[in-house]
Amino acid sequence: MAQADADDVVTLSGVRKTYDLGGVVEALAGVSLSLPRGSYTAVMGPSGSGKSTLLNLVGGLDTATEGTVTVGGRDLSAATEGERAAIRGSRVGFVFQTFNLMPRLTAVENVAMPLVFDGWGRTERRERARDLLADVGLGERLDHRPTELSGGQRQRVAIARALAPDPELILADEPTGNVDTETGERIMSLLDDLHAAGNTILLVTHERRIADHAERIVHVRDGVVERIEELSD
Amino acid sequence: MDPRESFTIAARSIRSHKLRSTLTVIGVVIGIASVVTFATFGASVQAEVVGGIADSGANNVYVLGQPADEEGFQQALQPVFTEYDLDRLAEIDGVEAVVPRGSIPINAVTHRGDTVALQQATATTPEAVTDETLVAGRSFERGANETVLNLAAAEATFAENVTVGDEITVDRADETWTLTVVGIVNGTAGELPVGNFGPQPGLYVPADPFYESVVESPNANARLRAYPQATVIADPASTLAVTDAVETYLQERSDARQLAPDGVELVARTSGDFAEQISDVIDQITRFVTGIAVIALVVGAIGIANIMLVSVTERTREIGIMKAVGARNRDVMELFLLEATLLGAGGALLGLPLGLAVAWGGTRYAEVGFAFAPFWSALAVLVGVLVGVVAGLYPAWRAARVDPIDALRYE
Repeated sequence: MAQADADDVVTLSGVRKTYDLGGVVEALAGVSLSLPRGSYTAVMGPSGSGKSTLLNLVGGLDTATEGTVTVGGRDLSAATEGERAAIRGSRVGFVFQTFNLMPRLTAVENVAMPLVFDGWGRTERRERARDLLADVGLGERLDHRPTELSGGQRQRVAIARALAPDPELILADEPTGNVDTETGERIMSLLDDLHAAGNTILLVTHERRIADHAERIVHVRDGVVERIEELSD
Repeated sequence: MDPRESFTIAARSIRSHKLRSTLTVIGVVIGIASVVTFATFGASVQAEVVGGIADSGANNVYVLGQPADEEGFQQALQPVFTEYDLDRLAEIDGVEAVVPRGSIPINAVTHRGDTVALQQATATTPEAVTDETLVAGRSFERGANETVLNLAAAEATFAENVTVGDEITVDRADETWTLTVVGIVNGTAGELPVGNFGPQPGLYVPADPFYESVVESPNANARLRAYPQATVIADPASTLAVTDAVETYLQERSDARQLAPDGVELVARTSGDFAEQISDVIDQITRFVTGIAVIALVVGAIGIANIMLVSVTERTREIGIMKAVGARNRDVMELFLLEATLLGAGGALLGLPLGLAVAWGGTRYAEVGFAFAPFWSALAVLVGVLVGVVAGLYPAWRAARVDPIDALRYE
């Protein structure tokens, strides 16, 4: 299923993840999957299926109990805590359901934050953040705090932040879960644009309508890949 | 990470909780201010007292007997320094005068019908009264029925002020002296720099003929007057050499060495020695009191630690976000540590001037000169910063260990 391909941005092979919560809970029970560069993949499954765990492993927020996860050629299971932080900051961009913006920072500062940890200079950071906010249509709202922005605007700030370090992979976890349908559609079309521009996207959702934006859907259930559905449009 | 950015973020989170941050800083301010206040006040008192001693005759060598195990300026009261000794001391190179000092028990002194009880008169030589110490008149002469009064005796003791030329009557157990006041002094030469903190009335009379403590001089084989204390006034340029010579004479050939009872040590001390001893005592008191003030500083530190722990809990989600976008544990630790340090440094920078101001007020109240203690002040600021660092360490470590997955779920 997962053949090692030099042009795969992400490769999972035989990944197991268990949690010890009084008894051992198996969140992922041997998953192998690869994401080619420039691909757009949706992971679908009911809650508790292991799709969030999958996202956390690919994003370097968590480590696999067994198996290997490679992102951009780096084996995350062999990486130290600090190295995983660096990977999160430079190779991966997160978009969360609840936006997760820093409440006391302005839009520009939020977008520039990954670049702070990636060691960019102050002026370059601000310039890059301004450009990205302009790209997502928030050029007029640079110095607004999250509380002064609508849900859709917040999610667009979050997307701009995910793009800031020019990552190899964008991870979107239910990106439309906290906005109305119309705003959700606009966010999805923004992701479509990003895909069209050559970005690799991994989207986690439980909504078929959202998943339909991707090129293929990976159905996950009880910690294993049930089937992979290729979409043609 | 970029230090300027760290600073901006830390300062912003401090500002976003103004009241809380202010109260925390006040805790540190009180601690630092207390330390600075006590240290500065102590240094001021020390400078005043030590300066006073140094001023009062740096060229005086005090010759006295002292209980052997005493470190301070306890004086043995036995009259052991004979006139033979005083003459030999006066012959030492560089000695300008030798002023002995002995006390004569008296009962009362009468001036113009006003009788005041007084326990002792001081017997000394005319050299004790110098131009510098004279307020009016002149010194008494040897063998004359004359006396010199200090200001306390002349102006604050009798119903009417005593002036030069007045007569006073001194009552003793078995006799009465009628003396002419020939001078008024403010202090006398060769006076011990300690022991007289308040202005006590002083009555100075010539040892000849009034002083009666007489012992058999082993060297002179005669009965001679002997005093419990004498002061060698040296040429300022050769005070050190004179001190050594006096010490040597005392230990090797003096009458005093043979007359001194067991357990009494003969010493030659300069005002520098006294200054050092008093300085040590004040130093110890200052350190003790400052030590107590440090408790306030510890309380301030606990305040910082407390507020930082609350802050870590409140900002768990923010920590998760920072970690998700690439913050390493070290970056998170740095941010929280910096925030705690800023609180500590803020407290120190505000506490320092406050402490100095209170100390200044204290010196006005105690009527001593204000002496800035640069070492203590620098230390206070440094300690304030350190307090922030130490108090912030555990909270920052907790923050760094936050699991980003849990944190991002945290509401």
